[in-house]
Amino acid sequence: MHRPFIPGLGLAAVLVTAALASCGGDEDGVPPTPDGGSVVDSGNPPADSGTPDAGDDAGTGDAGADDAGTDAGTPDDAGTPDAGLPDGTVPIPNALSGFGLFTGTPATGGLKPVEGNIPYALTTPLFSDYSVKSRTLYIPPDAQARYSASDVLDLPVGTVITKTFAFPADLREPEEDVRVIETRVLVRQPGGWEAFPYFWNEAQTEATLANGGRVVRDVRFIGEDGVERTLDYLVPSKNQCQKCHHVQDAQENQVLVPIGVKARYLNQDQDYGDGPVNQLQHLADLGRLTGLPPVDQVPREPNAFNPEEATLERRARAYLDINCAHCHNPKGTAGTTSRLFLNVDNTDEFTLGVCKRPGSAGGGVGGEFDIVPGDHSTSILWYRLHTEESGKMMPELGRALRHDQGSQLIADWIDAMPARACK
Amino acid sequence: MHPLSLSRAPRAVLLALVGLLALPACSDDGDDRPDAGQPDSGTRPDAGAGDAGGDAGTSDDGGTEGDGGTVAWPQDFSCEGKEQTTLTFNPGQEQELQDAVNDLAECTTIELGAGTFQFDNAITIRANGITIQGAGKGTQGEATGGEASTVLDFSNAAANTNGLDVVSKLFTVSDLAVWNAKKDGMRIESSSNVNIQRVRTEWAAENLESNGKYGIYPVKSTYVLVEDCEAYNAADAGIYVGQTQHTIVRRNVAKKNVAGIEIENTKFAHVSHNVAQDNTTGLVVFDLPGNPIRGTDVYIAHNTITGNNRPNFASVEASSSTVSQVPAGTGTFILASRRVELEHNTWGDNNTVDIAILSGLAIESDPIQWAAGFFNYPSQDIFIHDNTFTGGSGRMVDNGTPDPERRPLGALVGAVYQYGAAAHGVTGVEHVLWDGIDPAPRDESLANPINICFTRNTLPEGTQASVVDFDLQAVGGHLAAGPTPENVAAAWGETRRYAQDAEPYNCAGFTPALTLR
Repeated sequence: MHRPFIPGLGLAAVLVTAALASCGGDEDGVPPTPDGGSVVDSGNPPADSGTPDAGDDAGTGDAGADDAGTDAGTPDDAGTPDAGLPDGTVPIPNALSGFGLFTGTPATGGLKPVEGNIPYALTTPLFSDYSVKSRTLYIPPDAQARYSASDVLDLPVGTVITKTFAFPADLREPEEDVRVIETRVLVRQPGGWEAFPYFWNEAQTEATLANGGRVVRDVRFIGEDGVERTLDYLVPSKNQCQKCHHVQDAQENQVLVPIGVKARYLNQDQDYGDGPVNQLQHLADLGRLTGLPPVDQVPREPNAFNPEEATLERRARAYLDINCAHCHNPKGTAGTTSRLFLNVDNTDEFTLGVCKRPGSAGGGVGGEFDIVPGDHSTSILWYRLHTEESGKMMPELGRALRHDQGSQLIADWIDAMPARACK
Repeated sequence: MHPLSLSRAPRAVLLALVGLLALPACSDDGDDRPDAGQPDSGTRPDAGAGDAGGDAGTSDDGGTEGDGGTVAWPQDFSCEGKEQTTLTFNPGQEQELQDAVNDLAECTTIELGAGTFQFDNAITIRANGITIQGAGKGTQGEATGGEASTVLDFSNAAANTNGLDVVSKLFTVSDLAVWNAKKDGMRIESSSNVNIQRVRTEWAAENLESNGKYGIYPVKSTYVLVEDCEAYNAADAGIYVGQTQHTIVRRNVAKKNVAGIEIENTKFAHVSHNVAQDNTTGLVVFDLPGNPIRGTDVYIAHNTITGNNRPNFASVEASSSTVSQVPAGTGTFILASRRVELEHNTWGDNNTVDIAILSGLAIESDPIQWAAGFFNYPSQDIFIHDNTFTGGSGRMVDNGTPDPERRPLGALVGAVYQYGAAAHGVTGVEHVLWDGIDPAPRDESLANPINICFTRNTLPEGTQASVVDFDLQAVGGHLAAGPTPENVAAAWGETRRYAQDAEPYNCAGFTPALTLR
């Protein structure tokens, strides 16, 4: 059960992706990525590939390459986006349309991925102020991603990941009266990942590069619970993307990486038009993914809010993993400072927060310990994700509102732990 | 951290420590041997700070104050020989500035015109060799920039954002004010060769728990200079240097914060000529439990730390923060710190005590929590000499409003000294209070096992004792048994007072001397 790419859009436009497997060498749209293949063989998983200059050279030189937009108006026949410069560098256009990844606009009834720009969804997505998010993955036709059981997929140079954030007026009717706010774009450049925010105009006809970020005041919507909510929505600046999308490399430089594109979150079905098919299998069938084991051997994180999929603990851990572990892991800045590791493969109860005092939590965070088994109300971990108070809430960026469902899930999980006093 | 758990700090925990003490004995002392006599200053060569180094040359032997400051810190990034550009922005161009900041080439200077900039988001810098230069920091209370001041106003910024948020090698920010940031005024993290000069961070309202936590906050960095800055109304620390190696903090003013200036888990800190007044606590040197950097070699000279009696507004509920536990009126708070030298400073009119020296176990009694820093809870080697104590301190512990839940140390000290005044005519807490926990468990045969030296200080006329060994563990034990007159008397009986020239606090400091650069 996944929402269509952008509310209001059928899947018809996506059907053509099925053809891609058999026409990878589409003569009209072959992107000039001569060394794209070699990168696939580089043997460096993106998460720790060490490209130490990724942060330094972000945005230099290629930011103003307007020529990428030349094919923007004719995406249907372009087939694939222009993959750019001879070394595989993807030019960063000033308008989202310049990537050639979509046809249509929200104003005309739907923003539709072109063939080869593959929609996907996560078993448990990261919460962002209840925004409705739509994701696509574009891998250059002559390149392939490589499967990883635990890390982010090893995605080749030229890969473009998009995530579009929208607010329907009423979440109970997510396809009606939708306001699309931003599309975030992650690009795998030769030097590493780069992130760019694109901000949609009021007319919903174009999104333009907004490196400085934007604040959208008074976004209003009615939640699934029927309650109206209002928030000032923050489109993060380009540099703020790094605050979540990072790990520290061996030299303690911050290196940007994607978050959700992991096998365990992609491991579910989606209907691309011919009935449900596993998303990873779909990528492999399209020739975009190598090394995929039989799908029944691929790890999977459950939908955190479907009790039929997994135990309360598994679902809570999945929620913490996708929402918190990009910082709270042994290689993340917040993780190393706080020693709170919420990555799903952390089996150490203490660094998970049980009866652990924070290093420096600041004032008024509801308790002494990150997790007090049996008592969510005095657990800082819960408080941080429950509060809406600036300076105390977590994650640092990306939410102004409480996620009621998530807060309840973590409360239930902590309360279900055998009660014991911490000291 | 949790409230002081005196009643809960069982002997068993301390006995358990005996086994653990073998571990810290082989920790990282070895690689930190100071080379004595090293001049301390060191501004980076291309900082362009004309006045840097003026007072820097104090040698650590307490001698003359020279003008040494020419020793350069190493740099792991340089703009030499690289293209350097300057971008200029004026009020009204906030969005242009934000877009530019997020697309910066390295070695760019950003000039900010005079006036008030209204930001709706943090200014986030992720590039090396960046300089941000305003027209002036203005004066306390100035929410809008004038003709010669630049105010960055974050009053209407998105929730949960900082003012300046920086990761950069070779970063300089100067001559501006950061007003009403949502979180920290200026957070500079994982950076090196950082110069923060003539900056003011301020929140409009006094005593507001919802004010930002830290004003000026360089953390996890190396080679950090904070000078000629001002910090007001932070709900935690005005100037907070955390987890940093090599820092100079000088000629700053910190007022109306919970903590004026904090030096946390930091090695090689030179803190001089600062004014810390009207905070809850003026100057704090401490290690946090669970932090892998072991703070050491902190030099504190020529500072004025007086009248820090602001009620603690760090938190109104159960809290995990350290400073929320500090009783109002604490001039200087030294916790889980080692190799700290204090000379030519002035203390006075601090209601609780001028200087408190505490073991980390007083705040966090579980030694396992200290494992990351090789069990760095002890305070050790605190050399206090040639300072001036002007008096008026220690007369009203925690401003006379003790709170056993939130600020147990104050409640305990207050109760004991109330008895001391009534029964023994002791008029106040002495200038230096030592908790007597280290080493744990306490060896009663050692009077000064952690080498606190207190000599050659100028004391108020008629001063009798100036150092008190409070024996927190024993005092807490008596009072935990109930606040009966007998128990309070017994608690008082555990405390010991020493005059300035009395053994064993009349020692000659420590060797080798501090390493500061």
